[in-house]
Amino acid sequence: MKSIKPLGGWPMRLGFLVDLSRCMGCMACAVSCKAENNVPLHSWRLRVKYIDQGEFPNTKRHFVPLRCNHCDNAPCERICPVSALHYLPNGIVNVDHDRCIGCASCMMACPYNAIYLDPITNSADKCTYCAHRIEVGMMPACVVACPTHANIFGDLDDPESEISKYLQQHRDVMVRKPELNTHPKHFYVRGSTVALDPLASERPEGYTLFTEVKFLDHIGGN
Amino acid sequence: MLGAEVTFDVALPKIVWGWLVSTNMWAKSIATGTFLLGLYFIKKYPEQDSFFRKWVPILGLIFIGITLLVTVLDLHHMFRFWKIFAFAHFTSAVTLGAWVVSGFVIILLIAFWSWVTGNKKLFDKVMIPGFILAFFATIYTAGIMGEATGREVWVFPSEMISMLLSAMIAGSAAFLIVDAIYGKVLKENVRRELGYILFGSAGIAAAMFIGELFFAKMHSEFAYKVVEQLAFGEVAPFFWGGMFLTFIIPMILVGIANENRKYHYAFLGALSAIVGLWLIKHAWLIAPQTLPLS
Repeated sequence: MKSIKPLGGWPMRLGFLVDLSRCMGCMACAVSCKAENNVPLHSWRLRVKYIDQGEFPNTKRHFVPLRCNHCDNAPCERICPVSALHYLPNGIVNVDHDRCIGCASCMMACPYNAIYLDPITNSADKCTYCAHRIEVGMMPACVVACPTHANIFGDLDDPESEISKYLQQHRDVMVRKPELNTHPKHFYVRGSTVALDPLASERPEGYTLFTEVKFLDHIGGN
Repeated sequence: MLGAEVTFDVALPKIVWGWLVSTNMWAKSIATGTFLLGLYFIKKYPEQDSFFRKWVPILGLIFIGITLLVTVLDLHHMFRFWKIFAFAHFTSAVTLGAWVVSGFVIILLIAFWSWVTGNKKLFDKVMIPGFILAFFATIYTAGIMGEATGREVWVFPSEMISMLLSAMIAGSAAFLIVDAIYGKVLKENVRRELGYILFGSAGIAAAMFIGELFFAKMHSEFAYKVVEQLAFGEVAPFFWGGMFLTFIIPMILVGIANENRKYHYAFLGALSAIVGLWLIKHAWLIAPQTLPLS
């Protein structure tokens, strides 16, 4: 994986891996993320999408946790006019809420729909891999909350880290939209096109399991 | 489609950049188009330059003012706009655009002062930097679109040429409208040339739209779906309305006007082009935002 390194290089390159065969769609990660980061209603840094495939009785359900991919070549960082989105030395793409002018360019640039405008602060926000927890030596909240250890987090540059070993031991590692040259640092093991390509499944209006709202017409507080 | 459907997900943001951004692009096309064409006509027809020396700064300031107004209104933190200058991030086409447009506003103010005081040399001195700034003010939006990796149709290679053609359409149409409203003050040869510019720009722009969207190979499934949205989806009325009003109707009316020397047809064609340009820019902006990215 090619890295866009600053002068002197990264001290580490943090990444995420989700083993989709372990995920059971319990949403513990999404709830813990909400609680840890005070994410407001109708906004999500991490969400779990359910996709049903096939016809009864030959059906299967995919659970796909979706969060910021912390790309090495992040389009959101490049387009942000005031550097509110910026790289941390550990490879995390972080947000400075006080710097953000709320132009939403980052939302237009992100191919993963991982950025939202916080309706309370009116600033762009997204998953930061819980940078504030990592700073004091803790794991991201979603990793701690996951009951099946489907979320694996660590230093991609350290060959002894769990994530590096997982990546070395599995042949079916996927990233979302690799053709866009964003170099995501978020990987999926045992994924599929249905799970990771948003256009490979339909989004029917009005009859999902728990909600009838498919799109939000109102964005932020403007 | 693999017989799969999303059975649970959160509600996704839909239209993030809406009519304010469409208006930004539309108004900027008029401001820069009148400036670029105005310089051409001042140089080519110095005996008729008073019309252009007057209307270049007036139209420019009005429409670049609208551009700046809607840009600031669209910000969720409009009172932090100054940070784009204080904390400029120059890999961003948004930043480059803000700086270029600011420079262009200064040139327009100088041009305005030149017209008010009758000091032609003052405007002449800033024509070259003005041309450069107007050119880059026209195309920087293509840079923003190019950086918007998530919305693939915006990243088409001809986007920059399309923006320049939009400026030519808007500039020539705006001058034709002003000339008609103020009692045909331009000589016939200038009016005819404005008509030819509108006709030619509309023709080339229409050919590019059709060629790129319907005859070219789409480089991704997302781009293909966006074209479906444009042609048959919820934005189709804007798209086809824009195609007819911006390109087809002006070409017919301006063609009739120049052929039969009935210039009120050119006025109607110019009005149609100005209205249609907003519609087609709006369709172009909205269509990629109607599809889910995740």
